[in-house]
Formats: sequence, C-alpha cells, structure tokens
Amino acid sequence: MKLPFKINNKQKHLELLPNETLLQALRNNHFTEVKCGCNEGECGACTVLLDGKPVNSCQVLAMSVQEKEITTVKGIGTLYTPHLLQKSFAEAGADQCGFCSPGMVLASYSLLKENPQPTREEILVALDGNLCRCTGYVKIIDAVEMTAQKLHSNKLVME
Amino acid sequence: MLHQNLEWFFPHTTEEAVKLISQQGVILHGGGTRILKTSPKSIKGLVDVGKLNMNYIHHSGNKISIGSASTYDEVIRFSARTKKLSMLVKALSEAASTPLRNRITIGGSLKDFPIWSSLYAPLLALNAQIEIADKHDKIISLEEYLETGIIKTKHLIKRIILEDDPQVIGGVKRFVLIRFEYPLFTVAVALRTKQNIISDARIFITGVKGRYKHCKRAEHFLIGKELNDENIQQAKKHFAPKFVSDYKYSAEYKEHAAKVFFTDLLQELKGTVK
Repeated sequence: MKLPFKINNKQKHLELLPNETLLQALRNNHFTEVKCGCNEGECGACTVLLDGKPVNSCQVLAMSVQEKEITTVKGIGTLYTPHLLQKSFAEAGADQCGFCSPGMVLASYSLLKENPQPTREEILVALDGNLCRCTGYVKIIDAVEMTAQKLHSNKLVME
Repeated sequence: MLHQNLEWFFPHTTEEAVKLISQQGVILHGGGTRILKTSPKSIKGLVDVGKLNMNYIHHSGNKISIGSASTYDEVIRFSARTKKLSMLVKALSEAASTPLRNRITIGGSLKDFPIWSSLYAPLLALNAQIEIADKHDKIISLEEYLETGIIKTKHLIKRIILEDDPQVIGGVKRFVLIRFEYPLFTVAVALRTKQNIISDARIFITGVKGRYKHCKRAEHFLIGKELNDENIQQAKKHFAPKFVSDYKYSAEYKEHAAKVFFTDLLQELKGTVK
C-alpha cells in the first residue's frame, strides 16, 4: 500500500507493508541515507528524528508514525549545502567509514537544537545510543563542541 | 517477524480499544519496541494508543498522574522541570539509550514487565496505583496488579498515579556493568521518616526468582528505628532475595551483590533523612 508521510518537510508517499519498520519503509523508498546496522536498536546507525527527537527507526513500526514529522540526515543539510554541524564533523575528522555519521549527526542536531551549549557529559548522554567503531568518539564529541562554540561566537541559532 | 497482513487500528476511545484487544491475536501498540523485540507471528492486529489522549503528566494537589502513552523521556523531562519523581527518573534515565527512551512507553513497560525492567521496583516502592480499563475502569495498586494476575489478562493501562509526599525519601540501584545494559536486578527503597525515625518503609527488588520480591522482613525491621550504621547492617540480614543462577552469575553471587546494593542504598539515604 502507498501512504503519505511527512519527511524532511515534504509530503512523500511511501510504498510499504503493515509489518515494516520505519527503517525498512524509508530504505525501500530510496531514503538510503538512513543506515541499517544492527536492526535491534543497539547501534543507532538508523537514527532519524521523529518530531525532532532521535529514535531508532528499526524499532519503530512505520504505520504508527504517519502523522509525525520525520527528519533524515538529508533533511538538515546536503552534500552541497551542508549544515554547520555537518561541516564541523568534517573539520574535526569525526567521520571515518561514515556509517554511523547520519545517526551521530542527527542525535547531535537534536541535542544542540534544544541545548546549544551542552556540557561534555550532556553530549555523552545524548549520543549514548550511537555506536562508532572507527573514531573512538573523541572527534565526534569534539565536532559537537566545535558546533556549540561556533553557535556561541557567531551568535547563531541552531536551525 | 510480524505477519505482513497485520491489521492496524487507530481508535479514539479507550472503550473502542478495549473491545478491539478482546479479539484473538490483537494487542496494544505504544512505542512498539517490545513488539519488535519479540515479533510473534501470532499477532494479527495492533491497536495503536496514539489517539487515546494518554500522553500526559499531570500534577494536581499531592497526586501525579502519568498517562500510559508517555515515554520514558517525557517523564524525565517532567522531572527536570518540576524536580518531582526523582527516584523513578533515576531508574528511567539509566534504562536503555536516548533514542529508545524517546519511544518506550510507561504503559508498554508495565504490561510486559520484562525481567530486566527498571521501572517496576521504584514504582512498587512508591506504592504506585494504576488505572486500568477492561470491562470496567478501576484503580488498583501496582502490587495488586501483579499479585492477582491482572497483568496476564487483556486490558489497557490508562495511567499511573503516584503520591507526591515530601516526607518520603527513596532511592534505586540497578546492577549493570555498563550504564545502559539490561540490569541483573533493580532494588528500590522508599522510607517515610519523622524526626529521624522511619515510620513507614517499602522495599522491592526485581530480577529475582519469581520476577519481583516485596521485602517485608527488612521493612518490618526498619520501621520505628533510626537509619544509622548499626540498623543498616542489621537490616541487611533481613533482606534475603532469592535468585536463579545463570550462565554468568550464580544465585549466591547475585544475592551477595543485592545485599551490598541494598546497604549502599540505605547508607545513601541516611544522609537525607528528615
């Protein structure tokens, strides 16, 4: 069946089955920026924002979120128009294989939107559902702090 | 894996939802995390609770009502704003991870009561009540809900009701090796004190043989006494939860660890007695 969803501020129709997770429904409909890692809600590679809050899309049944606003990493910035946070990830060297990056970026985005000047401890808590097997996390946390610094010094609001 | 011909229902009233779940193979859907963990093929239909207006937290007088569709994260945020429910929130904020806490609902956790649940011990210690809907609506204590086996029947949990009593101090401890893994057990203690003397105590542990234990002997020992080092050591002797050995830990080890956690908890509470 084909059902309407609000994804990245646009109305989209997804072809899906009633037993599909949001992760399956998104990937089967070309939103491949949402990555499939563990499929058990442990790794955070499949993170999307639901009404602005990070969730594991592999742990959400797609049918239950038709009326919610879904944001994938492409909803906050693209390759040609990256978000400030995405730029910081690149500058800090927070991407290696890049598989966890969409989830990391979205979890960080949600944190900074709510709390533009988080402490290191608050960053750790916000990213506790996202695993990275390359970076050892230090550069990812640096990237979030770097973004917070840029927001502060340039008097910017997280958009 | 869930059946691909799964039927979805989106009722607007609890009566409608209760009627729907009376059908064979039809169950409630809150956040869906537990359903996806087990994914039984026997599920034919899911009744989503999203339109039942059960996503709220109200504080009125000395009562706090938590709608069963509220997520762990929403309870944590309420507590951050109001400085209420600190004991419950300590357990919730250590459970799972941020993205899962944004999905796991209070009602879903209560209905399923997985052995690793961090939710039950603090709620039982706080003597929580729950409002459930089956043929009739009723309010019962959470302990009665478990003891009488209502938990195993088909019903809908509407809300949890907690008393906001400033005389009650409490704490919770979970046995975990890393912060967000499933706890081996969770112990919770709530004490009502007056002039340094314990006038009431509720002590519960989950993750034990039989899933949970109301530690009445330890409670009886503590009531009428001061919370000092000597009484804490004595109380430990009256706290004897029984565990089942597993591939990682023996029952004896778990019992020893639980006693250590219990005394640590009382020591922490000692400094806050009013």
